[in-house]
Amino acid sequence: MNIENTQSQMRKGILEFCILSIIRRGEAYPSDIVEEMKAANLNILEGTLYPLLTRLKNADMLTYRWVESNSGPPRKYFSLTEKGLAFYRELETTWKELADAVDALANKSERISENQEIKP
Amino acid sequence: MKKIININFHSRVIPIEETAYDILRKYVESLKKHFANEEGGDEIVNDIENRFAELFSDRLKKGAVCITDADVNEIITSMGRPEDFDQDEINTGTNGNGGSKTSSAYAEEATDDEPRRLYRSENDKMLGGVCGGLAVYLRIDPSVVRIIYAVLILGSFGTALLLYFILWIALPPKSMVTKIKKRLFRDPDHRVIAGVASGLAAYFNVEIWIPRVIFCLPLIVGLITSIFRHAFWFNYDGPVFFTGGFGGTLFITYIILWIVLPEASTASEKLEMRGEKIDLASIKNTIKSDLEGFKQKASSVGSEMKQRAEEFGTEIKDRSLGIKKDISSVKIPRQGIGHAIGVLFKAFFLFITVIITFALVAALIGVIFSGGIVLPLKEYVIHGFWQNILVWSTLLLFLILPVVGLLTWLIRRIIGARSGSTYLGYIFGSLWVIGLISFIFLIATFSRQFSTRSGVNEDVQMTSPANGKLIVQVDDSKPFYIDSDWMGMNWRHKGPFFNLSEDSLTMNTVRVDILKSKDSAWHLHREKISRGNTSAEARSLASQIDFPIVQNDSLLTLSRGFAITPKQQFRNQQVLVVIEIPVGKRILLKSNLDDYKWFNINSKHWNNNGINIDFDDSDNDYPNSWDTEVEYTMTVNGLERSGKNAGYNNNEQPENPEKAEKKEKPERKENSDSSEIKKDNPKGEYRYHKPKTANAAATNVADPSGENKVPESIATIALLTSMS
Repeated sequence: MNIENTQSQMRKGILEFCILSIIRRGEAYPSDIVEEMKAANLNILEGTLYPLLTRLKNADMLTYRWVESNSGPPRKYFSLTEKGLAFYRELETTWKELADAVDALANKSERISENQEIKP
Repeated sequence: MKKIININFHSRVIPIEETAYDILRKYVESLKKHFANEEGGDEIVNDIENRFAELFSDRLKKGAVCITDADVNEIITSMGRPEDFDQDEINTGTNGNGGSKTSSAYAEEATDDEPRRLYRSENDKMLGGVCGGLAVYLRIDPSVVRIIYAVLILGSFGTALLLYFILWIALPPKSMVTKIKKRLFRDPDHRVIAGVASGLAAYFNVEIWIPRVIFCLPLIVGLITSIFRHAFWFNYDGPVFFTGGFGGTLFITYIILWIVLPEASTASEKLEMRGEKIDLASIKNTIKSDLEGFKQKASSVGSEMKQRAEEFGTEIKDRSLGIKKDISSVKIPRQGIGHAIGVLFKAFFLFITVIITFALVAALIGVIFSGGIVLPLKEYVIHGFWQNILVWSTLLLFLILPVVGLLTWLIRRIIGARSGSTYLGYIFGSLWVIGLISFIFLIATFSRQFSTRSGVNEDVQMTSPANGKLIVQVDDSKPFYIDSDWMGMNWRHKGPFFNLSEDSLTMNTVRVDILKSKDSAWHLHREKISRGNTSAEARSLASQIDFPIVQNDSLLTLSRGFAITPKQQFRNQQVLVVIEIPVGKRILLKSNLDDYKWFNINSKHWNNNGINIDFDDSDNDYPNSWDTEVEYTMTVNGLERSGKNAGYNNNEQPENPEKAEKKEKPERKENSDSSEIKKDNPKGEYRYHKPKTANAAATNVADPSGENKVPESIATIALLTSMS
């Protein structure tokens, strides 16, 4: 159980960033977003997505518009706002930093052990 | 083979299996609950529902006939359940679906794992669900909680009611399920009035007649003791317990239980009432026994059986899906002070109305009962066709109608029935107005009959008593019969004003007054007074009064009241007997004149708003007040007790009651064993001053001195203490 907790914590952290990235590429509606994430090997529940989108919308990161469709009820298509875009850029920076740091640390431990091995 | 229903889901008509709909509904409700406190929660739920609708139409387009359980569950699984949202699980491909719980159906489970918090119950509410929530928290039957709370309210003089409203505002509502094994219900199948007693019997596992007897016990015991009291001639001063407080308490308890306890309508509730294990076998048995009862009553047995079987089938399915109870629709939480105050007023108003109605009903019952007794008197007061009609219409429309209307409204509110047509209110109102009008008319005709007052004055021949002393008594020679009717009420036996017999009404409205005679002779007047429409009628009625007075030398005998017949009608007839005593003579009035002492003729002779009685000696002094069994002497200043100093005592007020009693007691003892002709000087007179009148001096001599010494000292002490 413990490992799953940690894993979910890790995933939770990057969720918003992923979603914003998807929407940044173009207008998307929730179903689409789920599909894309699945394609990128990240499974998310739709039920988790909807509240998140609403929260972002309430924080003015996203807007939406209704699109009528003849094969079903009207759909909400989300897109990034200015504020959302700025938010996204910041997150992007943070993510890059994180990724580098984690990467370095993970690699460094190997190098350390190498050093130790060399030294008698 | 399942039942399909059509639902209007986001402006689309979706055919869906009933069971699937149930699952969907529960899911949506759990979503709403989950997002209740979240900003934009409604929107979120709406979005999710929209997604569902989309997926439904997809499936239908692909050729499905309807949405099945499997479809719904599938969509739920991919959407995720509320508890999963919190964890925000994103899984990589290896972890399969969203890590949701594996149970295929969506079940609403009792909140056993949640931390024990106190909520208001959403679905088990009578007023606000406070007691329901308390019950779940404390794990006891909500009806028991309610009863205890009601008792608390009474005991704390309403403070607990305030607490209830505070809790109502403070506690958050939550849809909750009670998991009590045995609950207290009302049993509608075995009801006499409301099934309270039978419900109690089922809960406590006793025979049905036991709680019934308990409720009726005070009534029965009261009945028996009151029969004892009134059926016998002697005064039964035994305990008349149970009629007073206890009877009322149990009655109120019954009403409270009626309101508080829910009816056991479904089969599972009936089983819960008896505390039997709720499983398929017991449900089947219950339904079976219900069935049998039904067979005897119902006309078409076949269709009923089929219906029962269907219900039975659904019940089983519910059980197997693990759904314990239906959750009623989630109400929008209406919190806030405004709402609380509104509810407070509503409850308070209802409470007051209940109290007033009960008081009115009790008063009405009292009026009806006393009316039944007073009925024979009716002839004497009301005559004529119109008057009778007015009386009845007044009684019915003016008095009974509003009480009946109020009671009906109240009962309707309690059982929750919808009020009938609005015309009902109008009909009641107009009938009541008619009753009011007839009441006014009745009063008018009534007062007309009593408008004038007039009287007849007769002088009665009287001779001076031999030894200067007159004894007045009432003729008790004819015994009168005390009869009592079957209710044990001796009402007719001796009222203060009258006795009632078969053909006539005997009035005791007589007054005896004593005045000082203007000359040295005794005089006796008899005034007969009556009321009537006109003064001529009043006078004629007055003269019809028959009040004989007989004198036998020293003994003056008045008759015991006078009779009036229905023909004469009751018109407040009164008799005033005036005895004029010359100075120096004495008088003694016996104790059976007590009734005649205090009655107020209301004559103008001594105050300004009475009838004007024309005496020959109308400029006489104010009449003197007298006590029975006390000998008085008429002096220049008025009546005085024999042997007293004139200056000391006021005739107007009797002295201290203890002193008067003390004086009367030895005299009374004396009188009881003396003959009719009294001695000149009854023993035990208190004299400590030299009497002024000659007569008193004469009596002094006759008295043996020794006997007076002892009482004299007692008298001194008594007087001293009274003076301080």
